[in-house]
Amino acid sequence: MEEIQQAAEVQAAAEDQLIEGVAGVPNGKNKKNKGSNLRKQENLIGWIYIAPMVIGLVLFSLIPIILSIVSMFYRYDGSAQISDWVSVGGENFKKIFGGMHSKEYWDSFANTLLFAIQLPLGMIIGMFLALGMNRSMRGVQAFRIIYYIPCVMSVVAVTVVWKKLFAQNGIIDNMFHNSDAYVTNPEDQFLWLDSRVGIVITVTLLQIWKGVGYTALMFIAGLQSVSTDQLEAARIDGAGPWTILYKITLPALYPIIFYLLVTGLIGSLQMFNEVYVLTGGVGGYKTAVSFVYYCKEVVKNYGEASVAAWVLAVIIFIVTAIQMYVDKRKREAE
Amino acid sequence: MENVMEDQELKPEVPETTPTAPETEKKKSKIPTKLIWDIVVTVALSLGAVIMLLPFLWMVLGTFRTGASIETSFFPQAGDWSGKAYPDMWKESNKIMNSDWAVIRAILNSLLTTVPVVVVQILVSAFAAFAFAKLNFVGKNIMFLVLLSTMMVPFAVVMLPQVWWFDQLNLLEGPIAVIIPKFFGSITTVFFLRQFLYGIPDSISEAARLDGASYTRTFISVILPLLMPALATQAILSFIGNWNDFLGPLLYIQGNEWYTLPLLVNFVNNKGGSKGVLAVPQTLAISLISLVPIIIIFAVFQKKIIGSIVFSAVKG
Repeated sequence: MEEIQQAAEVQAAAEDQLIEGVAGVPNGKNKKNKGSNLRKQENLIGWIYIAPMVIGLVLFSLIPIILSIVSMFYRYDGSAQISDWVSVGGENFKKIFGGMHSKEYWDSFANTLLFAIQLPLGMIIGMFLALGMNRSMRGVQAFRIIYYIPCVMSVVAVTVVWKKLFAQNGIIDNMFHNSDAYVTNPEDQFLWLDSRVGIVITVTLLQIWKGVGYTALMFIAGLQSVSTDQLEAARIDGAGPWTILYKITLPALYPIIFYLLVTGLIGSLQMFNEVYVLTGGVGGYKTAVSFVYYCKEVVKNYGEASVAAWVLAVIIFIVTAIQMYVDKRKREAE
Repeated sequence: MENVMEDQELKPEVPETTPTAPETEKKKSKIPTKLIWDIVVTVALSLGAVIMLLPFLWMVLGTFRTGASIETSFFPQAGDWSGKAYPDMWKESNKIMNSDWAVIRAILNSLLTTVPVVVVQILVSAFAAFAFAKLNFVGKNIMFLVLLSTMMVPFAVVMLPQVWWFDQLNLLEGPIAVIIPKFFGSITTVFFLRQFLYGIPDSISEAARLDGASYTRTFISVILPLLMPALATQAILSFIGNWNDFLGPLLYIQGNEWYTLPLLVNFVNNKGGSKGVLAVPQTLAISLISLVPIIIIFAVFQKKIIGSIVFSAVKG
C-alpha cells in the first residue's frame, strides 16, 4: 500500500517537472487567452471526472472518520439520533485501558497477534513452492493455478468446510484420537475450535492453505527479477544450490519478503471473517476487529467500538510508518 | 497490463534455459542432475497440490453421502452414498430462512450486490484514472495522495459510523448500504488503471483532441478501447472481491430476505439461527453452490487473475 503511495509521489513529482517544462514554452503572450481558457476547461473536466471519487471520499471516509473520533467520547448505538448521544467523557477509554472490557480487548488483541504466526510459516512454505514452480519443466503452470485456487474462493464457504473438517469428533479430530475412551471422555479431547491453542492451530492452517498460492506467485515474480548473469557467474565459480539461494536469490527477494510481511501483518491485524465463522459469532475467541463488532452487537456502544478501532488504526499507522521509513532508507542507499 | 502479463509468462523460461547451455558444453553428467531435481520437485509439488485440493475433494464427495461416516472416513463407505443432501439443503434452508426460495434468493441478492457495483465502480474509477493520468488540473496530485491515504485507515474505524449513518436513514434492511458506497469508485482500481494509462502515449489522446473531439469523447472512443484489457482484469478482481465479501454485508444487510450467499451460508450454519443448523452434507452442498460462480470465473480467467498478481508484485 505504501509502495503505491511512494510510487505515486515519485510519479507526481516527475509530472510536475514535465508540466512546468512544457507549459512554459508554447504559451506565448498572444496565445495567452486561448491557453488559459483551455486550462480552465481542463481544470473543470478534471474535477468533474474525479468528482464521484471525491464525493465518496467525503461521505464514506472523511465524515465517518470524524464521527468515529467524536464518538469516542459518547455512548450511543445505531438507533440513537445524534441528539441521543450520551456524553461520557473518558469512560470508553477507561473501559478498554483497564476497565471492565480491558481484559477482553487485550485478549482479542493477543489472539490477533497469535493468528499472525501464519505469516512467517506461510512465507517459508511459499518460498519453497516458488523455487519449485520457477523451474523450467512441465506442469509448473498447472501447479501455479492449483496452488492459487483457494485464494479466490469465498472465505465463508471454505471456512465453513474447515469448521466441519476440524469439528469435535470430526474427521481431523478422529485422525489423531480414534479410541473410544477419547470419544466418551470429553475432558480429554482436544478442542480445535474451542480452545485458544486449538483455534490458533486451525486458523493458522486455514490461512496458510488459503494464502500460500498468493505468496508463492509473488515470490515467483521476484525470482524472475534475479539476474541470469549473476546466477551463471556463481555457478561457474562452483557455488552450490544452497549457496546460490542464500547469497543471491534471497537478497534479491528481500523487497518482496518485506512487502509481503508488511501487507500481511496489516491484513492479519484486521482479520475477522475466519474467526467469526469458525467460532460461530463474536461470543468466543475474538480478534481486534471482532471486538469492534462485539461492541456494536452485544455491548451496543458504538463509542467504545470507536476507541477499540482507533487503537488498531494507530498500530497499523505505526507499521505503515516503519515501512515508509525502511523504504526511504533503501531508496537513499541506492 | 496485457503486455506486462505476456512478458511475465515468457520470462520463466529465460533464467533456466540459459544457465543449462554452458553446462551442457562443460559436462554431460550435469543433465541428469537437472532431471533428478525435476522429478523430485514434481513429486513434492504434486504432494502439495493434493493437500491443497483435499479439502475441496472432501467437500464435493461429502455432498453425495448421508453423513453417517463423514466423521470417520475420508471417502464415502459402501451404503453411505446419497443424493439427498441437495434437496434436503434446499428444504432446510427454506425452513431456517422462512422463505420458499432461500438459496435462489441469496444468489439473486449476491448478483444484485455485485454486478451493478462492478460496472459502476470500474467506470467511475476509469474516468478518475484518466483524469489523474492524462489531464492537468489544480489540486490533482494532492487529491490523489489524499485518496491513496484513505487506504491506510482500517475498515474497522469507518464501519460503525457508516452503519449508524445508514441506520439513521433506515437503509439497513436491504442491500442499498452495501451497494451505494462502492459506486464511488475504488482507489486501488484507479491506481492500477492510472499506471496502465501512463503506458499509453499522450500523442494518441492529443491527436483526437486536435481533431476537435471533447475530453469525454476522446476518453470514450479513443482511450477506453485501449484500456479494455486492464478494465477486464479489474472487473474480474472486483467481482471476486465483492462476491466473497462478508463483513460489509454482515454489517449493512439486516433483513434476512436480503442476505447474500456468504451471509446465508454463515447463517444456516450458525447457532445464531434459532431454527437449528444444516447437517454436514447439506452444509457442504450449500458452500459448494456459493463457490460455483467463482470456480467458473477462475477457470475462464485464471491467466488474467494470475497475471494481475504478478503485475502487482512487479509494481510493489
